[in-house]
Amino acid sequence: MTAATTDVRPESPSEDGLDSLQAQARRVRRLIVRLAATASGCHLGGSLSLTEILVALLGRVMKINPGEPHWEGRDHLILSKGHAAAGLYAALSAFGFFDPEELVQRYNAEGSIFTGHVNARVPGVDFSTGSLGHGLGLGTGLALGYRLKGLANRVYVICGDGEMGEGSNWEALQIASHQRLSNLTVIIDRNGGQNDGPTESILSQAALTDRLLMFGFEALEVDGHDLRALCEALEAPAGKAPRAIVARTQKGAGVPMFKGKGPHYAVFSPEQLRRALVSMGETP
Amino acid sequence: MSETQTSGADLSAAPEAWLRENPKLSNRQIFRHALARFAEQDPRLVLLEADLGGGGDPFEARHKDRYFNLGICEATMLDMACGLAHVGHVVFAHTFAPFGTMRACEQVRLGMAYPRANVKLVCDYGGVSGAFFGPTHHAIEDLAILRSMPGMLVLSPADGLETILATRAMIDHAGPVYMRLGRNRVSRLEEPRGGFTLGRALCFREGSDVGLIAHGEVGVSVALEAAQRLESQGVSARVVNMHTLKPLDEAAVLETAERTRLLVTVEEHTILGGLGGAVCETVCTQGLGRRVLRIGIQDRYDPLAGSHESLLRGHGLDGAAVAELVLDSLSTRRS
Repeated sequence: MTAATTDVRPESPSEDGLDSLQAQARRVRRLIVRLAATASGCHLGGSLSLTEILVALLGRVMKINPGEPHWEGRDHLILSKGHAAAGLYAALSAFGFFDPEELVQRYNAEGSIFTGHVNARVPGVDFSTGSLGHGLGLGTGLALGYRLKGLANRVYVICGDGEMGEGSNWEALQIASHQRLSNLTVIIDRNGGQNDGPTESILSQAALTDRLLMFGFEALEVDGHDLRALCEALEAPAGKAPRAIVARTQKGAGVPMFKGKGPHYAVFSPEQLRRALVSMGETP
Repeated sequence: MSETQTSGADLSAAPEAWLRENPKLSNRQIFRHALARFAEQDPRLVLLEADLGGGGDPFEARHKDRYFNLGICEATMLDMACGLAHVGHVVFAHTFAPFGTMRACEQVRLGMAYPRANVKLVCDYGGVSGAFFGPTHHAIEDLAILRSMPGMLVLSPADGLETILATRAMIDHAGPVYMRLGRNRVSRLEEPRGGFTLGRALCFREGSDVGLIAHGEVGVSVALEAAQRLESQGVSARVVNMHTLKPLDEAAVLETAERTRLLVTVEEHTILGGLGGAVCETVCTQGLGRRVLRIGIQDRYDPLAGSHESLLRGHGLDGAAVAELVLDSLSTRRS
């Protein structure tokens, strides 16, 4: 990804394209795991669960220009579950917004822009997030702002499933639906876990896709680790309503030693990092 | 809200004449007319409402494409305002003060203050102007809360003219602003205005015994009435209209402290953290060693119904009570 990606892309990802996205997903995961091995660690489970979502968006679906992060023609990505900053930073660096090694060196370091929750000072980021339940409102405003200006920029907001407990999300869903903001797409990282444990045992988000449909969204459910399915869902032509994609994912996905139950937060020792990388089939 | 159109004088070019032609409008109605008028020349302006626009809004009538009644969703209204401002719109968000500053408090913090978004939160029902509607519709803490947020400008205009001038000034200021208005009181002060500059207080009256520093529709008029009463008792009062609570005009506080023997703040807000708090901070920080009398809402809620005036009287917020308190305080100091 170098220049403004206004190029025409094939209708569905070719095998070649998918291979390249998969390679990027591996690269992003390797970075995330390394961020867990920095002094203060990172929100590991929820960063690994949304890796494919980020790679599909930044690597294929969105119009972006890493060399010019504020390019006027760009699409916007708001990571409402801002605790997964490590995932977003890793993906942004993998797609050329900044140097991945600088990220690993500076993550959570004194005076660094790479704070533990998403920081708007990081190239490619528009809003600081991490207090949950704000991203959808911000994105709804952004989408309305573009429509008001008659511009075609699109807005993608990623929420966590636990985050859907925040009432403000449901305010924003109502408004986006009522205003028919078809330039808005919400992706819910349905990894089934939150800070204190399993989402279903804390505050159930049962029938989430049905509820989004009832709210007037074009809602569908996909395997959130299937890049082809994600790209197809994200790239389907816009209708008249905003779109919601419930992405079924696993916390800690892509690191086999977690067996799909990765920790919410982790501070890896050098030995844990080595074991994680080996389990991923990477050279430590 | 009744009138959507006014005729005659142009609000923008001749605000004083326009106000004379519309003598019955409250500040919150005046704000709506002002915003609708200024929007004619400024396509960047957008107005968001959360079902408290009241119907018949002149902005809605004249700029329908830029008027969004989002429903009863104050919190999301403020997050959306930040999103809209991000792509260059100048966003006004309006609701009642308790909801805008407390229900949506974190959205104001993260959507307005922290990103320094070009969003203007304008709230009516400031103080106890919601009167008989009860404490759910009072806002006695709003200024303290908003004043504590880095980068936030906080305005409390004293009358109709100042409301128009403040609305103009906040459009010209790129950044987050909170403007607090009352409910239905008609406020027209006779004091001539040399103009309006954000952060620069106006001295409405010179005096040497007591310095009354006030803001807002109630505070300034109560201070002016108290000053008149004091004058008849041979006490000379300086009255300062501190229409901008943040940034506070510290020079005006210092000047008032130097020229008078007693400092008094008068405001329709809790005595904690509003203008009273701000003046005390300045006095202490500057090491002035001066006593400050804080007149305002006395750190309690008003659970029972009452008219605006009677609730204010209950907190000593009327000209006679303020004058009496000042006289007591001055005589105590002499003895």
